[in-house]
Amino acid sequence: MMECGELLKELSGISAITGRENMASEKIAGLFREYCDDVRIDAFYNVIGLKKGCGKNPRSILVTAHYDEIGLIVTGIEDTGFLRFDAAGGVDPKAIGAMEVTVHGKKDLFGVIGAKPPHLIPPEDSGKAVKMEDMRIDIGLDGEEARKLVSIGDMVSFRTVPQKLLNNRIAGKSLDNRSGVAALIEILKELKKLHHEDDVYVVATVQEELGLIGAFSTSYNIKADLAIVIDACHGDMPDCPSDETFPLGKGVAIAVGPILSRKHTKEIIKLAKSENIPYQIDPEAGDTGTEAAAHSVAREGIPVILLSVPTKYMHTAVEMVSVDDVVATGKLAARYIAGRAKD
Amino acid sequence: MFELIKSLTQTYGPSGNEKKVAEKIKNLLKGKVDETRTDAMGNLICVKKGSGKKIMFAAHMDEIGIIVTYIDENGFLRFGNVGGLPQLIIMGQRVRFENGTVGVIWYEENIDNMKNATLEKMYIDIGASSREEAEKMVKVGDMGIFVGETVLQNGKIISKALDDRLGCAILVETALRNVETDNEIYYVFTTQEEVGLRGAKTAAFGIVPDMALALDVCDTGDTPNCKPMSVKMGKGPTVKIKDRSVISHPEVKDRLIRAAEKANIPYQLEVSLYGGTDAGSIHITAGGIPSGGISIPTRFIHDASEMADMNDVENAVRLLCEFIKG
Repeated sequence: MMECGELLKELSGISAITGRENMASEKIAGLFREYCDDVRIDAFYNVIGLKKGCGKNPRSILVTAHYDEIGLIVTGIEDTGFLRFDAAGGVDPKAIGAMEVTVHGKKDLFGVIGAKPPHLIPPEDSGKAVKMEDMRIDIGLDGEEARKLVSIGDMVSFRTVPQKLLNNRIAGKSLDNRSGVAALIEILKELKKLHHEDDVYVVATVQEELGLIGAFSTSYNIKADLAIVIDACHGDMPDCPSDETFPLGKGVAIAVGPILSRKHTKEIIKLAKSENIPYQIDPEAGDTGTEAAAHSVAREGIPVILLSVPTKYMHTAVEMVSVDDVVATGKLAARYIAGRAKD
Repeated sequence: MFELIKSLTQTYGPSGNEKKVAEKIKNLLKGKVDETRTDAMGNLICVKKGSGKKIMFAAHMDEIGIIVTYIDENGFLRFGNVGGLPQLIIMGQRVRFENGTVGVIWYEENIDNMKNATLEKMYIDIGASSREEAEKMVKVGDMGIFVGETVLQNGKIISKALDDRLGCAILVETALRNVETDNEIYYVFTTQEEVGLRGAKTAAFGIVPDMALALDVCDTGDTPNCKPMSVKMGKGPTVKIKDRSVISHPEVKDRLIRAAEKANIPYQLEVSLYGGTDAGSIHITAGGIPSGGISIPTRFIHDASEMADMNDVENAVRLLCEFIKG
């Protein structure tokens, strides 16, 4: 059993670019197997773990966290060997200059996103952001050699090595939403210690970054009575609105909003209080932009709870979370599942 | 093949009004498939029965156009868009309504900057001199399509509505070639793609195939000073990797590439930064349907004169036939 911080580091190091999660589905399935009665991978590479409840008429509880990550996709190979690319998911071009990357070609290739040296930037362009279409990935090969190893459509991931910081923080790539996946495993660990009546489906979902694709198929296929979504919300940083950001280390963010189940949200807040699990309230006026939006209207509609892990520097390769918040998220969700009343 | 494409492109069929196109296709495939049905959204579903995998091919019948929103006292029509209309290239174009009425799109001439020539600043002149006269020819809610002759020149086809009657023609031709297979093939001619990939959604839900392909058009990167794109007209149909609506399922994509390589069919890998296809709604239908696409590289998409290469069309038919065999 891996300690949560180590688990987060391991998960952050995995590459699973949105739409090509088959790169990592087996790995995620392996992590689930230690705790589940059954683990399978569906046609879209959603990884579905089932932990059976001991009740006579168990209900089904679905807990999802997406495991895809943002990255880049190769759109062209120039004769000089430079690779043109576009974003796979929401990538800010201002945050990727001079990054180290892995190009997932016929084999994994080390590459860098080249940037023009300041000496060669004409004065009228200095201070201007570089557009993605003007950037290239350099893998050190000429066009002919590059074409042997790379094809159009190959995915590219960022290469940051995850780091443990002081104060139980982790910084690295893809913590949106590997923290959620880590929380799924924390739930499973916790449930091992608890008595739970209901069947629990933990699902690491795909293609969230492209529009909740994995969530749509998951909540259609698994007829759940309750869904819990675990995703990332913005951590605090200077010059960002305080009502949309949440300090790290202050606990799980419980969302409150129109598409979320009022009943379950109220009860889980009550539980957090009585169990002394640190939490924050995250007001979500719209559809939350998370998988909750898909689950809430799946089939006849599924009541949803949304729990988020505060994450700094979202959609960059240096995202940061507090391990304590991930643990709190897992603990709260597990206890809610185990303690759920008989209706 | 040209005559088939010409006949399909010249048929009236803006989004929501695909009936005439459907009729024409139904007649072309009469007796050539095992079952034909039309669902509530107007999708035409033609089935070649089999005991193997259920494979769905989708090409949309609808084309972009305009819809009349208001008729003024002098008989000029105001209009909105049906599907994506590039405003600067519709000016001066002819439109034709279902009953044959022809109109010309023009703009209020006090516009100082043509960038401000939005649809609200444009009107359609059908040669009527009063509202009463105009209303005898056209009503509010009527849809018009763009006029554009279908021409074959130097191996290239130039026409209105290649998007996506080319896809329809490819499916018809593939069905007629009647490849030997155990698989159950669904040739689906969808509706309302241009207004949000709508028909494909209900069609896929009704069928729940094991896999699906969208047959459509995609942009090219081979015209003067265009945005860089690897796809070129005439270099083969594309195997879709990604567009704005879908990242192709890896197994579907690989099956296409295998089919192309086995039969020595030229193909190109497509990463489209703009535009979506029916694959986008099919793949999230029901519990998820692995989907991908084949596109015909097409210049000037959504213009009344789109252009594509006949070799690409023929190779797309060959690729589909190979794909069916698996």
